[in-house]
Amino acid sequence: MLTLASLVTLALGPVLAGPLPSATGSREAEAPAVLFVRAERVYVRPGEVIDNGAVLVRDGRIVAVGRDLVAPEGARKLSGKVVCAGFVDAWSSFGLDAGSADDQRTSPATRTVDALNEYVDPRLRLEVLGAGVTAARLNAGSSSREGGVGALVRNRPEPGADAVLLGDCCVAASVGLTREGRGRDVFDSLGEVDKLVGSIADGLNYLRDKNDYKVDLEEWRKAITEKEAELEKDFKKAKKDREKDEKEAEEKGKEYKPKKYKEDKKPSPPRYDEDKEVMARVANGELPLVVQVHRCAELRSLLEGTERFDRLRLVIAGGSEAMDVADELAERDIPVIVWPAPLGRPRPDEFEDADLGLAGRLEAAGVTVLLGTGGQAGASRDLPLLAALAVGHGLTRRQALAALTTDAAATLDVGDRIGSLETGKDADLLILDGEPLASSTRITHVISHGDLVVGQ
Amino acid sequence: MISTTKMLTTGVLAAVLAAPAYPAPASDGGADTYAVRAARMLLADGREVEDAVLLVEGGKIRAAGRGVDVPAGVPVLEHDGVLTAGMIACHGYSGTRGETGDDTRSVLAEARIANALDLGHSDFANALAAGITTLVITPAPDNLAPGSTAVVKTAGGTILSSAAHLSLSFTDDALRANRYPTSYGGALAELDARLADPSGAFAEAVAGRLPVLFEVSSRDETQRAAEFATRHGLGGALHGARRAGEVLSAVQQSGLGVIVGPFDPGTPGRQLDSVVALGGARVPLAFGLDAPQEDGDALRLSAAMCVRDGLDPALAWQGLTSGGADIAGVGRRVGRLEAGLDADFVLWSGPPLDLTSSVVEVYVDGARVFGGVR
Repeated sequence: MLTLASLVTLALGPVLAGPLPSATGSREAEAPAVLFVRAERVYVRPGEVIDNGAVLVRDGRIVAVGRDLVAPEGARKLSGKVVCAGFVDAWSSFGLDAGSADDQRTSPATRTVDALNEYVDPRLRLEVLGAGVTAARLNAGSSSREGGVGALVRNRPEPGADAVLLGDCCVAASVGLTREGRGRDVFDSLGEVDKLVGSIADGLNYLRDKNDYKVDLEEWRKAITEKEAELEKDFKKAKKDREKDEKEAEEKGKEYKPKKYKEDKKPSPPRYDEDKEVMARVANGELPLVVQVHRCAELRSLLEGTERFDRLRLVIAGGSEAMDVADELAERDIPVIVWPAPLGRPRPDEFEDADLGLAGRLEAAGVTVLLGTGGQAGASRDLPLLAALAVGHGLTRRQALAALTTDAAATLDVGDRIGSLETGKDADLLILDGEPLASSTRITHVISHGDLVVGQ
Repeated sequence: MISTTKMLTTGVLAAVLAAPAYPAPASDGGADTYAVRAARMLLADGREVEDAVLLVEGGKIRAAGRGVDVPAGVPVLEHDGVLTAGMIACHGYSGTRGETGDDTRSVLAEARIANALDLGHSDFANALAAGITTLVITPAPDNLAPGSTAVVKTAGGTILSSAAHLSLSFTDDALRANRYPTSYGGALAELDARLADPSGAFAEAVAGRLPVLFEVSSRDETQRAAEFATRHGLGGALHGARRAGEVLSAVQQSGLGVIVGPFDPGTPGRQLDSVVALGGARVPLAFGLDAPQEDGDALRLSAAMCVRDGLDPALAWQGLTSGGADIAGVGRRVGRLEAGLDADFVLWSGPPLDLTSSVVEVYVDGARVFGGVR
């Protein structure tokens, strides 16, 4: 029985282990940092503003938000016109080792947290922070057919273990990209969709096999227990019978074969497969699947192929031609991460139909729009400017702000940690001298996990 | 006097016609005289005037500013946003369709990129939609002297100048192992010789009648070009000088302007710092676009990136309009909202350096060439 128990643990271990190391507050040994931020406008979340409010931060967390707060004794007081949550780049490679970011041979089991580059120029880190981008989704192999498990990482002036907010915030994949030897053959592209759908189905089957195994194992245990009880009860008779059988066999010069019971056949677990382990979590809706896909044909094919996975949480990245399937995206509540960059020509084939108005049109069609910097190194710093460009081309300010805060956090499963200024959330916030996203607005202070990292 | 409605109709027609082929010709017979009253007008020096009027007559600006008298009977368009001069992008390859270089000879000083232009190309419509009304078209810096630049409008097919600058390339792109010159030293010797006994475009440059566009890339190329300009008394501008701010004294001494950008998202902060330093030293600035490799909106994005990093917004706006026009040598035609200049202007929903603002309408030579129906 002991052996059995350990076997179960072995098989389930990687699943149960779940989230990778997350921020566990390796706070500096200084006096507990208490910050009291007062502002004319406190953006609790997009559309919810407190006039003349304040935010109280203690030990890296927001402990109070409201109008009638009083600064506690010894608190560091800061003030500004506007305070809002730090921005999240939903499609970045900042702080990721370049080779891993562009790796084309990743698999779902590849972990982005293993590819974080601690040696990024500190000046660059401060530039990104200074622009208000306090966290980013990073993904090893984000343009690979099968990317790895993505991480939601907080930008810190000094990288450390507490930077990782969520080590498994999604799994990345891509279909129909034309780079690194991947051609622009339409059948190849659709084949990539089929492979991806197949990989989700494999994950689902793997999950079923594991569940079946759990049930079988339970049944087997039960049967064994019953049998043992029965044997115990009839122990003497059974012993006699066996001795008799053994004797008879000896007399007849035959080999004694103990009677086989069906209960002796212990069920075996499905063969462990690291990639299927991850895809099982994707199929089960535990991890969102972020697929970079652009053309209408691939989008349609992907939507069709994934319809049967009712727990799958699909997210589209890029989506140059996503307007062609906007109704279905809205209906199935599939967010699109748009990269609103003014791309010239010639540009990668899949971006041929990309334009700055995409975010606004998708929003108007009822699709949740997130914003990112396309995984371009260092571009996270310019996310607020790109978001402003998207606003200039039709995205509402409210959705642009939601895309950079609440919606990004919710989609990537860190909605309970960051994205809004609510009691209990991590203190990642910006103090600005004007409305967020207006180009004339300056960010005067940036607070990351309760630490004042930009401004004085 | 033609009625407002009629004028608007022709304007709309012109905008529709503009899309596929030639953008609207300047003299399309629309209302000859009209006025635009804007909630705010941004002047070339960065000053903002409220409730200002732009009076247009025959495709030219007759008056601009606050308190401009509109003669009786002149139709007035109201704009509840910002009115500015059209922007100018001072470097790019729009409409050249690859006709930017000839690698058989390294000195082609008499070549004119204007002769290779397709003025109906969609590149121009792309720039127009971003609020850019004038472009400097440049030969690629693959030759020592690849020819002269052209200045064109993005609508109407107007070539403002078919020889705006003599382009000289100090980049290593102009140096080939199989063609003279093969080294920086050889390149300088060749150019020194051409300027010692100048003829053609070189003579124009030496005489100060033709500014020089110095194509550079690295910091040492920038320094070399600036010192070369000082030595020969050449005027003009540097382009591609990513770190010009680090060799500021050489640049200042040369008196050259600097065409900066385009800056892609993620451009290292050091390059932007360089622009801020140039601005602080009052070096004349302009912005390049390098279309079609860049989309028209990259021009404003580049300027906004510099402003975010500390460039005075007024200087950035000058670089996008009057300063750019001066560097392109067409400052007396476009780039300012001033009486006598071409009526090339943009109606914005808000301040143009705020990227959340959008282009509402664009007018070139007084005719509406981009924008919807009112």
